[in-house]
This record gives sequence, C-alpha cells and structure tokens, in this order.
Amino acid sequence: MRRNSGRSSVWNFLRVTAVVFAASSLLLVASDNAPERVPSYVSWSQETLAAASAGDAFRGMLLAKRCDHCHGSEGFSATGSTPNLADMDELAIWKELEDFRSHKRISRAMEPIAESLSSRDVADVVAYYSKLPVYTDPQDNRNFPGSRPGPGHAAIASHLVAFGDGERGIPPCQSCHGPVAYRPGVPSLMTQNSEYVLSQLEAFANRSRANDINMPMRTISTLLTEDERHALAEYYGSGLGLQPGSSR
Amino acid sequence: MNWRKLRTFLLTVLVLCLIPATRYYQIDAPLLHFLKGSRDVDPLSLHLAGEFVENNLGTEQGADGSVTVRMIAQQYLFVPHCILVPAGVPVHLRITSADVVHALAFNGTDYNVKVLPGTISEAQLQFSSPGEFKTVCREFCGAGHYAMRSELKVVPRDQFPVLRSGERGNCAAQ
Repeated sequence: MRRNSGRSSVWNFLRVTAVVFAASSLLLVASDNAPERVPSYVSWSQETLAAASAGDAFRGMLLAKRCDHCHGSEGFSATGSTPNLADMDELAIWKELEDFRSHKRISRAMEPIAESLSSRDVADVVAYYSKLPVYTDPQDNRNFPGSRPGPGHAAIASHLVAFGDGERGIPPCQSCHGPVAYRPGVPSLMTQNSEYVLSQLEAFANRSRANDINMPMRTISTLLTEDERHALAEYYGSGLGLQPGSSR
Repeated sequence: MNWRKLRTFLLTVLVLCLIPATRYYQIDAPLLHFLKGSRDVDPLSLHLAGEFVENNLGTEQGADGSVTVRMIAQQYLFVPHCILVPAGVPVHLRITSADVVHALAFNGTDYNVKVLPGTISEAQLQFSSPGEFKTVCREFCGAGHYAMRSELKVVPRDQFPVLRSGERGNCAAQ
C-alpha cells in the first residue's frame, strides 16, 4: 500500500515536470520572436564610471608600449585608418576596449588585443592615453594634421559641427564630441585622423559598427549625405576643429 | 471689508485655476507617475534589457490591432528618428528619456508629452487624417536642443504595413 502511493507520487511528479517543461518551452518559443539586440554591455552607472577612471597611468604607460606600433609613441598614429589616442577622453577609450572585449565592436586587430587585457589593464592603458598631452613639437611620423578641405567642404563641415541641421534633425557635432559639451563615452574628435573618422561614419551608416548606445551615431550617419561625411572627416582630420571659427 | 475678502478669494481661485489650465494639453508625467504608482526604469541601462532595447523601439501592432509606439528621447535625438502610425486608430505612446528632461511635441497638433529620465511617459494619441508632422523637443535639454527634431508619418490604415510579432515599424532610413 505504502509502496503503491509512493509510485503514484513519482508519476505525479513526472507529470508536473512534463507540464512545466512544455509550458516553459512554449514560453521560450514565444519570447524567441524578438531576441533583444544589445549594442554594448556598457552602461554609465556610478560603478562603471569609477572603474573606468580608476586606472594607474604609469602602469598604463608600460602596458601601452605594445600599442605604440600602431597608435604611435606620442598617441598619434602613422596611418590614417588607425585612430589617434592622445588626450582622448578616458571613458571613450574604455568603452571601445570593453566593446572589443565583448565582441560588440568588430575589429580583427583590436578584439584579440582587448581580450588579452584584464579589466585593470584596460583602466590603466586608458588612464595613460587620456593623460598623454598633444605635444606642440611632434617627434614622431604622424598622419594627423591632414590637408585642409576645400572652401566648399570647410563651409559644409563647420556649419554641421557648429549648428547641425535643424530641418533634418541633425544635432551639432560639437554638442557631444566637444569642445562645447561631451557625453560619457563620446570621443573627442578634434585631433582625429580624417580617414578614421570617415571609415567610422560609413561603418555606422551601413551598420557594420553598431555599438552606439541608443543608436545616436547610426541615426545621424544615415541622415548625412556622402559629401557631408567626407567634409566632416576632412574638417576634423585637418585640425580645423582645434580652432573653431577659423575656417569661415 | 467684506468686499475686499471676496475679491481676494476670487483672485486666489483664478490663480489656482491657471495651474490646471496651463497643464490642460500636457500629459503631465510627474503627476501621472504620482497618481498611477511608480513605473521606474533605469535611464542608463535602457539598451541592456527590458522594454526599450533597440529592436523593440518603433511601432508595434498587437494581435488585437492595437498600436503601441515605443521611443527613447536622448540628447539630442528621438529614437527611432521617424515614426510611422496608421490614421484613425488610437495609438498608445510609451516614451522614456535616457538622460535629461525632454518634451515630445508634434508640430501642428496639441500633443505635448513630457519625458523624464527614470519613468515611462504614456499617452493616447489619435490622428484623424494622414499627414507628416515634425516632432520637436519643447523642453530645453542642452547645447543641441534646437536640432532635436524628428518626423511622424501618419499613413492611411490600408497603407500601414502588416507587422509580424517581433517586428517593429518605423520610417527611418535604414
């Protein structure tokens, strides 16, 4: 008798398990319709801000010796397709390295390098580059002040940088990328290579880069015309962004 | 003496009437928030999980034909940049802010939705005829505030695309 009731409770248990399993698999199928697309695992909470700005710049300098080959010993790269890192905002480099680590930003060169760094290494390297000054007497073979844009492109770009385009809903570049205002994780562009700026604008536009939180750059780069993208890249790459108003 | 009291009383009533009068066309999120209980969201991690992940933004069509629009307002963009809704159908709008206070308004209509970080602003909209409206931010939100504009396209009901579950409609250029 006792044995019998034990067996029936086992059957009951199995039946309940089967029902729970079926229900949960149905739920999973239902929720599978819209898998969440996460652009980046970074969120600018207080802990993140503290972790990103707690680096040791001296240790970062030693670690950054291996970055010199591409990003330059003074933080200015010799090739235009590689970004300059000198004086870059701490949070901006930190976010990109974290995105490379989590494969949210795709780069054949940077993903393995970022993966090899610990989170402490990332914070240290970031601290070093953010404190690296923009030397007035460069000793390296840098690409940076590129050729100046023609008058047409300079006018288009300086207007977009300073005022954006209210009709199309393009905010001014300088309201997030400086010097007027910055948002956390947004890079300063004033000393960036033109080739790199252009490649990133195009990557955002064709969605091959999609790690911008709440998609501001994917939206804006899609609204910009091909000509405007070139104009903006030439504007920033020639150092015009360092002296606002000089191009007019 | 009595006359003076009456005058003061009437003035007070008039001034108090001004407060709801200025709020009449505004869907007041703080007030709703207070009345309906909290609907907190973390403005810093909207993109990680929950209702406002990027592939859930835009127009959703429920199985019963109801239309819900989800948006994020942030410095200095509305996401998605162009919203598509059918005409003559009540549209349920759910919007939240990723950073500061914004106000979503459709030029040429009376709708003005205050958008606050940390809470979801809800509104019931209905557009009787097809058309295109400029969406603007009507709360100063920073250096690029004046360029914070996007579009709302109201299309006839039969031209509105049939959305599958999990699919979200918008008219932003892809």
